[in-house]
Amino acid sequence: MVIDVGTQSVRNGEDGGRDDESSPPSEDRSANGGLGLEWTLFRTLWLEEWRLHTSLFGGWRFYGFPLVIAGLVVAGGYALTATGYSSDAILLGVHVTALAFGLYSGTAAFAGSDMLENVFGDLSLLLGSSNSLPLSRRRLLGHFLVKDTLFYAITIVAPLALVVVPLEGLGVATLSTVVRTWLSMTLLFAAGMAITVGLIALRTRGLPLRGVGWVGILAIVGWLAVGRLERGGVVDPGRAEPFETTGGPGIDAVVLTTAAPTTWLAVLLGTVGLGALSLRVYDPSYTTPARSSEGRVPFARYRALPGTNPLVAKTLVDLVRSSGGLFKPVVSIAILLGVVAFLVTVVREITTIEPALGVFYGSVLGLSAFTTYNWLTQFDAVESYGAYPVTVEAVFRAKQLAFFLVGLPTMAGAYLLVMAWLGPPVLDAVTGFVLLVGLALYYYGLTVYVAGFDPNEFLFDAVRFLGFTVGVACLLLPTLVVGFVVVPLTATVAAALLATGLVAGLLGHLLARRAARRWADRYRRGQA
Amino acid sequence: MTICRVDGLEHAFGSVTALDGMSFTVEAGECFGFLGPNGAGKTTSIGILTGQLTPDAGEVEVLGLDPTATPVETRHRVGILPEQQPPPSFLTPREYFEFVGQVRGLEEATLESRIDTWAARLGLHGKLDTLNTDLSRGQQQKVMITQAFLHEPELVFIDEPLVNLDPLVQEQVKAFLLEYADAGNTIFVSTHNIDVAAAICDRVAIVVDGACRVVTEPDGTADALRHRFLESVERGASQGMPAGSGEVSGE
Repeated sequence: MVIDVGTQSVRNGEDGGRDDESSPPSEDRSANGGLGLEWTLFRTLWLEEWRLHTSLFGGWRFYGFPLVIAGLVVAGGYALTATGYSSDAILLGVHVTALAFGLYSGTAAFAGSDMLENVFGDLSLLLGSSNSLPLSRRRLLGHFLVKDTLFYAITIVAPLALVVVPLEGLGVATLSTVVRTWLSMTLLFAAGMAITVGLIALRTRGLPLRGVGWVGILAIVGWLAVGRLERGGVVDPGRAEPFETTGGPGIDAVVLTTAAPTTWLAVLLGTVGLGALSLRVYDPSYTTPARSSEGRVPFARYRALPGTNPLVAKTLVDLVRSSGGLFKPVVSIAILLGVVAFLVTVVREITTIEPALGVFYGSVLGLSAFTTYNWLTQFDAVESYGAYPVTVEAVFRAKQLAFFLVGLPTMAGAYLLVMAWLGPPVLDAVTGFVLLVGLALYYYGLTVYVAGFDPNEFLFDAVRFLGFTVGVACLLLPTLVVGFVVVPLTATVAAALLATGLVAGLLGHLLARRAARRWADRYRRGQA
Repeated sequence: MTICRVDGLEHAFGSVTALDGMSFTVEAGECFGFLGPNGAGKTTSIGILTGQLTPDAGEVEVLGLDPTATPVETRHRVGILPEQQPPPSFLTPREYFEFVGQVRGLEEATLESRIDTWAARLGLHGKLDTLNTDLSRGQQQKVMITQAFLHEPELVFIDEPLVNLDPLVQEQVKAFLLEYADAGNTIFVSTHNIDVAAAICDRVAIVVDGACRVVTEPDGTADALRHRFLESVERGASQGMPAGSGEVSGE
């Protein structure tokens, strides 16, 4: 491949890949061969992304992934329609999912910039080329974002848009509705990414991560306060929601499918503008200053925690000292919490069903076991323990212990906070808590069993994704249905749910143990 | 005394054959070189010798142990320097050595003294409390070298030990390896650097296409070894030598 390197960037700089960083993107383009180079960069990044996934999962397992999503969405759409959910509610649900996915995609990079370096450093043209070629990081990042938006728009958002099929049925106009829904969701996904990339850019300009976290928390508190004021300061604790939609964005504001062209244009320009501004603000020369152990909790302190060992302590240090620190699992659960709260509110407004809040929140919040496990394994590889006299099983056990120490308390804290805010009946809250712990253990065990040490990678493996989804649905759907239908909870139903929680916890524990043996065997055969 | 014995090892990663009848022995107290081009099967061999990988076929014995059956016990008794593996990013070198010391069951006082010795030997004193992720690659390699020797094992497997090190430290490490072997310990050096193998190894196994082609005793200069190496590689490439047909010769 020949890249026209031009002359501008070479003249500007003295340190190789960082030389043209002070130039805005437009100057880069004019100096380096115009659109021909832009297309080459974009095409190469796209090719790299595509080959990464196809080589990781062996072709058809990756190609089958969108089909699995489409199948689940269409089946889910039919099921929800049959149970009385309106088209508006379902459309809103998939749009919120697209927005949340966009936010999450950006947040993963934002809260874990070490992860960004870690994951993409060796694999992607993004960071590698700016070190060896006269191409600015800013420029590559721009291409990377466009490429990522398109990639996810095709592999994830497009199959989600097929939800229109069960809502409208197959007809002459269905295709155009699907396309409009897809565009609407893609725009929201891109907006979510742009917001968090903007935060990454601000971070490179010195805005401290904790400051950003506090701004987010203050924004939520502010939203809540405004909501209270709008309701005249009177809050019925049995019905109040932290993400009440009253006064917030309505369905029309989120779903652009039927919006006027001017609205489309406004959102499009806003998203592109925010993305462009983020790139302008982004400081490519930003590097983390050398960090010492001074002012940090020493390794020995983690080692001294009850029930830990050196492997657990190392995992905790990795989590706490990497970018975002303990904020990472908190941010993950906060996003999940936001989505759940929003959906509960919408469902309540549209269907007038008052769910059993404890059961509902407990069941869904346990899903953060997946993201927490992801954070616990992000800076680690089984192979790196090969130099020490420890078994692969011991490494997996250490991750589980770390999950007990970090994941469960975070979930429990979030759950208790929400319950204190909403004030559901005690029986509901207690049942939900047991479900939270039991299902979290089950989701954890299931994740480890299916994905081994690489939970992030299995997202695009059709077989693993399907296995994980079915495994989650087996326990999550029944508890959610009960949470919506049997309100208020009866003692009998509560006892059944408590038993479900206990069985789920036990099952999760067994799955985690089996997973350790399963993956240890694979690693020793060189098949992992 | 034979400290390490490998006989007819075979291993494949899917359709790619990594080892195809690998056989050799390592004697106690020697510095044994494992010289071969990229993809010859060196790292896979070390993976099996240290119990990280299970071979498809063949026998292996290390310090009288079967690494396949007793991987943890084997790794307790040997030291391992993996190829191009950085230390844990978010620990400092001192904390990483504490971690390794605890995993290997070293006494605290012993550990402290050895950290001091190694920090002085490799010039790490000023960096002991900096996060590993913020060290240069050369400094990270020094940290990894230290962890391999921290428990003073009688047998050490080192994979490309001098990579990323500056010339001065390279000489220091080479001198240390010779000194360590002179003290009665055994060093297994995997490398594709002919100069390194010629300078420090008592015997060198030349590995091509997953099998040991020849075991030779270098005369301290690189020329003869280079000639032998190129000859083995070319012969292996053009004729396809039968697996496990390694000959033993002196220079």
